[in-house]
Amino acid sequence: MTTPALQERFQTLVDDHKKILYKVCNLYCRNRGDREDLAQEIVIQLWRSFGSFDERCRFSTWMYRIALNVAISFYRREDARTRYVLSDEEHLLNAVGETAIESEEIQILYEFIGGLDPLNKALVLLYLDGNSYLEIAGVLGISETNVATKISRLKQTMRQELRGTVRD
Amino acid sequence: MLDLDELKLQWAEHNRKLDESIRLNRKLLSATNLNRARSALQRMAAFLGLEAAIQLAVVVALGSFINEHIALVRFALPAAALDVFAIAILIAMIQQIAGALQIDYDKPIAIIQKQLEDLRMLRIRYVQGIFLTATLAWTPLLIVVLKEFWGLDAYRLFGAAFLVSNLLVGLAIIPLALWLSKKFSDHVCRSLFIRRIMKDLAGHNLNAAAGFLATLSEFEDETLAK
Repeated sequence: MTTPALQERFQTLVDDHKKILYKVCNLYCRNRGDREDLAQEIVIQLWRSFGSFDERCRFSTWMYRIALNVAISFYRREDARTRYVLSDEEHLLNAVGETAIESEEIQILYEFIGGLDPLNKALVLLYLDGNSYLEIAGVLGISETNVATKISRLKQTMRQELRGTVRD
Repeated sequence: MLDLDELKLQWAEHNRKLDESIRLNRKLLSATNLNRARSALQRMAAFLGLEAAIQLAVVVALGSFINEHIALVRFALPAAALDVFAIAILIAMIQQIAGALQIDYDKPIAIIQKQLEDLRMLRIRYVQGIFLTATLAWTPLLIVVLKEFWGLDAYRLFGAAFLVSNLLVGLAIIPLALWLSKKFSDHVCRSLFIRRIMKDLAGHNLNAAAGFLATLSEFEDETLAK
């Protein structure tokens, strides 16, 4: 595939899966500036790896793997705002601020996920997005049994933490 | 009471609404921006490559100096010490470049995060090594540079006692630098870069990296996930 054709294909695929970008950025960054920086880094990394994308795989799984890897390392880095900063008007995601999180339950869920470590954050996001245990295991690089155990443990933790917080 | 499965349904609804509210700026995905990112990465790789090439030239030049002064131990010995130092830096640089080039974010998270953390630890040890040994390197550097560029003998010019005392001062600076970096790494400077170096020196960042590796290993370990 030629570069312009490759790029067109890339643009279309990323556009079709932009929700992944939004959700990952929103879970790993609290403020808008960081979210935009992270989104830029994810797009750059996606583009870098796009040449090796295997069309037989699901694009969403591949995108999750890259986006979560970038997000976790971004989250762990202190000087997150030093690289590839594009100009202010080039915002990746428009109108996806806090207004998109409207229900109390979703806010509680975001808060719960916000308190998890970066690896468990990835696990919960993949689970909520309806990925199978096998797919989650593939993205995280752990066994399917391990995924099942962790999900069950997280459910338990969540039940304990949210007991009495919201309606019974 | 809410549980994760009930929230999963709400999450799906939230997902549906996101479709309507997210507008992705395709301008950012345009050729100019993607190529700009690519060229930034190429520049970074080229810069690291150039640094390694310069380091290699230093190793070779020191080797040549040792060869020329092999009979004069007082010159060959400091040059050999510097050469060992330069070779160690070169190896660490190559390890870092190779490590960075091998990172492919298209791999499972547990693998990539481990690679990234190992690379981070390597970089921290590199920074610690450079800063701590640099205080010892300047005396042999003075001896070699004076001899090579001006034909001067530092032992005669300054006296052996002066050179030895400088070495001792260099040694004394190491614990002092460690103490200062531990004490002030969080407060001394607003610059993130300087603060990061201080935290590297103090070992704070090394502890954080080791801590994350332990978390990662626990995450991968099924026996712990009960």
